[in-house]
Amino acid sequence: MSLKQYIITRIILAIPMLFVILTIIFFILRIMPGDPVAAILGGKASIEVINQLRHELGLDKPLWLQYLDYLKNLLKGDFGKSTLTGRPVLSEIMDKFPATLELTLFAFMVAVTIGVFWGAEAARKKDKAIDVSARIFAILLYAIPVFWLGLMMQLIFGAYLRWLPVGGRISAFVDLKPMTGLYLIDSLIQGNWEAFVDVLKHLILPGVTLGLVISSIFLRMVRNNAVLMYGQDFVKAARARGIREKDIKYKHALKNALVPIMTMMGLQFALLLGGAVLTETTFSWPGMGSFLVLRIRYRDFPAIQGTVVFFAFIIIVVSIIVDIINALIDPRIRY
Amino acid sequence: MRKWLLVFFTVLVIFTAFATSNVLVVGTTDKIKILDPAKCYDYFSSNVLQNIMVGLVNYKIGTAEIVPELATKWETPDGGKTYYFYIRKDAKFSNGDPITAKEIAWSINRAMKLNGDPAFLLTQVIEKAEAVDTYKLKIVLKQPDVTFISRLGYTVGYPVNPKEYPEDKFFNEAPKMSASGPYMIKEWIRDQKVVLVENPYWYGPKPKIKKVVIMFYEDPATLRLALENGEIDVAYRHLDPRDFLDMKKQGLVKTYEGDSPQIRYIVFNVTKKPFDNVLVRRAIAYAVDRQKIVNRVFVGLARPLYSMIPMGMWSHEDIYPKRDLEKARKLLEEAGYSESNPLKIDLWYTPTHYGGTESDVAQVLKEALEETGMIKVTIKYAEWSTYIDYFLNGTMGMFLLGWYPDYIDPDDYTAPFVSTEGGKSLGSFYSDPVMDKLLEYARRFGDISVRTAFYDVIQEKMAKDVPFLPLWQGVATAAAQPNVKGILLEPTQIFRYYIIEK
Repeated sequence: MSLKQYIITRIILAIPMLFVILTIIFFILRIMPGDPVAAILGGKASIEVINQLRHELGLDKPLWLQYLDYLKNLLKGDFGKSTLTGRPVLSEIMDKFPATLELTLFAFMVAVTIGVFWGAEAARKKDKAIDVSARIFAILLYAIPVFWLGLMMQLIFGAYLRWLPVGGRISAFVDLKPMTGLYLIDSLIQGNWEAFVDVLKHLILPGVTLGLVISSIFLRMVRNNAVLMYGQDFVKAARARGIREKDIKYKHALKNALVPIMTMMGLQFALLLGGAVLTETTFSWPGMGSFLVLRIRYRDFPAIQGTVVFFAFIIIVVSIIVDIINALIDPRIRY
Repeated sequence: MRKWLLVFFTVLVIFTAFATSNVLVVGTTDKIKILDPAKCYDYFSSNVLQNIMVGLVNYKIGTAEIVPELATKWETPDGGKTYYFYIRKDAKFSNGDPITAKEIAWSINRAMKLNGDPAFLLTQVIEKAEAVDTYKLKIVLKQPDVTFISRLGYTVGYPVNPKEYPEDKFFNEAPKMSASGPYMIKEWIRDQKVVLVENPYWYGPKPKIKKVVIMFYEDPATLRLALENGEIDVAYRHLDPRDFLDMKKQGLVKTYEGDSPQIRYIVFNVTKKPFDNVLVRRAIAYAVDRQKIVNRVFVGLARPLYSMIPMGMWSHEDIYPKRDLEKARKLLEEAGYSESNPLKIDLWYTPTHYGGTESDVAQVLKEALEETGMIKVTIKYAEWSTYIDYFLNGTMGMFLLGWYPDYIDPDDYTAPFVSTEGGKSLGSFYSDPVMDKLLEYARRFGDISVRTAFYDVIQEKMAKDVPFLPLWQGVATAAAQPNVKGILLEPTQIFRYYIIEK
């Protein structure tokens, strides 16, 4: 099968998968105890008001009819309206997604930088100080809960040193007109340097916290895979031919170790785009993670369904992209 | 070069200091749900509306006393069935449109017709509203009801601009909606920030601070750090009690404590065994340890409560019994229980809706009840939306719940609980025709001393029947930078930004 055919097959296969996911989430939400109307009204309103709202939201219809309505609307690209705010779910998601994307990109840069460079170097100097410290660092960070690390960062860099803000995306005083929703880019487009610096300062603590935690996964993965490669004959052969150590490291050992690493990184990336709930909550980052948690609390069915389908879509897209990249890295991969 | 840099930074610092002295930054972990008065029924949405809109009446600053606002005065020639309100002539929306009797009547009728979450406050008592002329408003009630004026104090009765708000659906597009209060919304990024600026057409005294930015946080610890880091001027709702006491002790920021009208209590489902036995409910009333909850869980930032009507409100009486384990044991014996045949009960709580302290409360209650030696408590919990389901359909027999008032009147602490209808909507399923009549009479008479007499009887009956068991009353807290002045935690729980200075 050619790569093109493979991609087309993957996209076609993704459709039933999405369908299964949205069906499961639809029914799970409705089987679970907890009524969206009661959750919104907070147990204070009379039975009449509750029934009226239930009727308005179509929750008094039989389940299969609700399901058909939902599918029908979804085919038209309508994710429905949030029961909490009354706004279209898709635009609510689009409000939150850029925040998560910005955080993910930043955290990923941190994680890849630490993970790949340190990991490759550690593999080359196996059992030396740099390797041992990398392993300790990775295990330590992997074991530390992200919210605790976040809290420590806030304490040190926010409360004691007062270098960086402890939460939010932008200061109260700074005006920035959201355009793309990626504040760094928005401030650059508008040439607003004050906003750019402010946004960057807000991004550092959550980004580095999240980046450090993920880097521990990358670091171990890169190191272990590269160590395996260093033991292979082709690396020894390359050394014997007198190829520069730097080239051996990156072009031979690391490149061949890259396929499992890329797959894992892609998956990590997709997972992060779903919103790093704990990091977002700790740093009051208004992204997808805190959005989903809040909406689950209010049993906002359309918003939860919409978000889950959106996540599924992202994971599918990212995994296809990862497959393409893998095929480009390693021509032996055939589908 | 270095000299110039120094000058540059000095200018910058002075400039920023100057620029920020007229902006107040408030941080909160609360959320805004919707800013349409016809639909708004949660604390923080009301809080914003109370700073950008006004109603026919208002509360006098710092008190729970009703004072004229858009209505300069009102009268009821037929003894409480029909009210005439005289509207002030200088009231305008923030886009310059006048606010007259016509707009007010339209808004009240709209809220009643849309029947949103808070609409029952109006529909329970109001028949219709109409403009008699430009500055005279007529409201006809279903029957005379003394709680009517207090109900108008809630945001649901606030007028909105008919040119902007659709009549047949809710509207939530700040800043496209014009305000009628001291501030108006300039910008709103959901869950991130709200920017309020001075309303140029506001007839009242100008706000002390021209611009207010409300920043939304996810986590109480971050809120505290943001205050200590100087990112915000005021932290309001919800600082953790231990953080609050810690900051109070350190003294780097100013801390504020005020009366809160929030009450917390146990609900008994009086139709469910063993709580259908009044002796069991009374025994539990003797066995609970309120002081221990206050001390251990809230480190003193709450007050033991012995009536469903909160302390500080007229007619409140400490009517529920103080702790007495001997009496509790006697009642349990009477109900047929003993140390070898203990009363086995489930106690329910919900883990996040009332903050993270609920499981501790349940634990302290369990210990207190088990001290009788004749009760075995199993603690159970359910997440909020499930919890509501459970109490509406009567799954839980004994559970923790809380109440914020909709209007400041003893009626709002009695009728929603022990009326037949209230019993259903709060899961006690208590119903007593005598109680229903008492509540109705207490609402009909205008004279406070007559009403007080009725509430005495009502409270006594509540303490005897124990469908609800009051536990404690909240203490409102806030913390602010030392240069912020004028913060007032009012008994009505209105938090006014426009009286704060910096």
